Amino acid sequence: MVTADKLDELQLEPEVPELDLSWLNLDTEWGVSAEPGRKGLTLQQINKTLYGDIPATSEDSSARPRGAAPPEGATPRMTPWVLGDATETFSDSAGLLYDEAVSRQWSSATDIPWDTLDELPEDIERAMAQLCTSLTEVEFIAGDVPGKWLPRIAADHFESGLFLMSQVMDEARHTDVFRKRALANGGGLLLQGGGGGLRQILEAEDFTQMSSMLHILGEGFVQSLFRLGELIAHNEAEKRIFRLAAQDESRHVAFGVTHLKYTLDNEPDKAEEVHWTLDMFENTIVDPDQANPGLAGALIYLLGDGDVDEGWRLFWHVRRKQVLEYLHRLDVAGLGGRLESGRLHSALVGALDEN
Amino acid sequence: MPENDVVAAAKERLEESGLPSDWLDTPVHWGVKAKEQATPENGGLRFEYLNVDVYGEVPEYWENNTEIPRGAIPDTRTEQMGYSIFNKSEVWSDLCAGLYEDAIADRWNSSADIPWDTLAPIGSDLERAVCQIATLMSEYGWTKAQTTGRWLQEISYGYIEVKLFLGTVVFDGARLYEVWRKRALANGGGLGRGGRNWKFLPLTQSYTFSEFCVASIMHDAMLIGLLRRGEQLAQTDAERTIYELCQKDIERHLAYFVDHMRYLMLREPVRREEVHRYLNKAEWYLAKDGDDTLYSALAVIMGDGREGAEEAMADVAELRREQVETYLGYLRQCHLGDRDDRLNEELRKWAGIMPAEEVEKIPV
Ligand SMILES: [Fe+2]
Ligand SMILES: [Fe+2]
Repeated sequence: MVTADKLDELQLEPEVPELDLSWLNLDTEWGVSAEPGRKGLTLQQINKTLYGDIPATSEDSSARPRGAAPPEGATPRMTPWVLGDATETFSDSAGLLYDEAVSRQWSSATDIPWDTLDELPEDIERAMAQLCTSLTEVEFIAGDVPGKWLPRIAADHFESGLFLMSQVMDEARHTDVFRKRALANGGGLLLQGGGGGLRQILEAEDFTQMSSMLHILGEGFVQSLFRLGELIAHNEAEKRIFRLAAQDESRHVAFGVTHLKYTLDNEPDKAEEVHWTLDMFENTIVDPDQANPGLAGALIYLLGDGDVDEGWRLFWHVRRKQVLEYLHRLDVAGLGGRLESGRLHSALVGALDEN
Repeated sequence: MPENDVVAAAKERLEESGLPSDWLDTPVHWGVKAKEQATPENGGLRFEYLNVDVYGEVPEYWENNTEIPRGAIPDTRTEQMGYSIFNKSEVWSDLCAGLYEDAIADRWNSSADIPWDTLAPIGSDLERAVCQIATLMSEYGWTKAQTTGRWLQEISYGYIEVKLFLGTVVFDGARLYEVWRKRALANGGGLGRGGRNWKFLPLTQSYTFSEFCVASIMHDAMLIGLLRRGEQLAQTDAERTIYELCQKDIERHLAYFVDHMRYLMLREPVRREEVHRYLNKAEWYLAKDGDDTLYSALAVIMGDGREGAEEAMADVAELRREQVETYLGYLRQCHLGDRDDRLNEELRKWAGIMPAEEVEKIPV
């Protein structure tokens, strides 16, 4: 056994690495400059040259940054497979959404005015604790999913990779902030409410199918709800939580919409596959067996501030908005017509009825 | 029936309306008020402050394969989600919650927090060298984020603090990737040559989280050895800031990986030899890969151009020696000090440590 101090006695001169200057004469694009703009030096600004050209297909499973020269000699296969086709994972807005994610990070510890959480009546506190139990659970899966897909994103399409990395961070914060709210004001964590399509998102083996479930329908519904957070919140702290989380969800939804648009623009045949996925996923989220008993009850209770009839009325107001916004997003993505073609699930069609 | 009248009345109203009401009188651990610790002096409502009552009990073995929040009441109808890590010793460190909040408090933005306007022409050789290093840094950031992200779906909510922290590692990896890409494309240069990536296989291939952790310690330690030389290597304030900010991030990652491995070694000493095998593999790939462009690019920077590179190689060798020393230092903190004796022969040369067989001849 040689102890750490004994190592000194055994010290030799460190070996000198071999000097190889061949990389001084590469034929990568050279002479590239970028000027910081109003928001600093964003990805958009460095994407103006050849380095911004997105290859339609990539066979590179390595970590080599787009535009770098390939290494000399043998290289290993880094992952069993990557999604080399840009239509599989790309979005024209991914870089922009990543930039926005970086500049709009917030802290659940310091950006929420926790001191505005006054004592609430026990029924309301319980309902809020239940809602937050369900939300921390949902957000947990929302972070697992992009993590799962990261190794499959080609480095040549790094913008999508960066976006998903920012989503992992956002969902960590959401998992965290709802757990914090549940434990901040006396309530605690109540009933788990598994189901509701979480498994379907996690188990999808096609990125676009996953994204249309997670980003467009799932997070779309969540975002519509969070944007109406004023109806649920009882104090400034809760309002801020919903507002900040909604801002993050907007980016996630935007990624899904722009990715689907990119895919359908380049591969229109994929539309039917996505319709199928949405058929299945709409069915899952309205399936009474999949319903989260705590979530629905607590949400309605909070919306009505204890008045269940009023809660139901507002619930349908929320649901209607969720469905309308969902249909609008599909329109923007180039997958319009689900309502008109009778494909939208009847329970969601029913939600459009003003009465 | 709940004793509280308000709750009882609420339950009744829900039932009349056909809504589930079980959640209202579920046996909850009532009265946890983490907000009471959320003062500005305390850093707001940090995640550490949630660990009270049953919610702070991190089990040795977590039995639930769904996404159920730790401390909530299970719904047995929920499908299993395919998590594979259920042992505290496999992932845990007491530092996670704090490191997670630190990462958020220390967050930075490569667009706005780097004084890009301090970039100035530095001559073609130096620009090439900086860009070559930037290319390799980006590769590591990408690999770090991808390979860390892969572990999220393996870890259950029982160890939520670990997962939250790993989320910040993924995000830090993204920034490591893009801040160096920006540096390469901002100052009249371009990207250099990609690395061979063999050295990353222990990260991408890792079958166990322990392997991933020790491979991360090795790579992060080598990187921190380099980042700590930022003052000397940086050509402008922009680069100086990049080195500093990246260093802070990687130090947080090391704090977790090291503390976790220390915990594992204490809890499961029987796994020591297994861990050494992971280290054998990680070191072998690192040595074989050689990172030749990295050290040559460093020589051009330290030699102030290609003419001075040959002479600067002695300094580069010293830097590489420091890197290996830094790595061994972190392993000692994990109670893996016996690695000193077992270090890969090539890395021994890098560090100027006598070959193992020579050492054995020395009478102790
Ligand atoms: Fe979320
Ligand atoms: Fe989200």
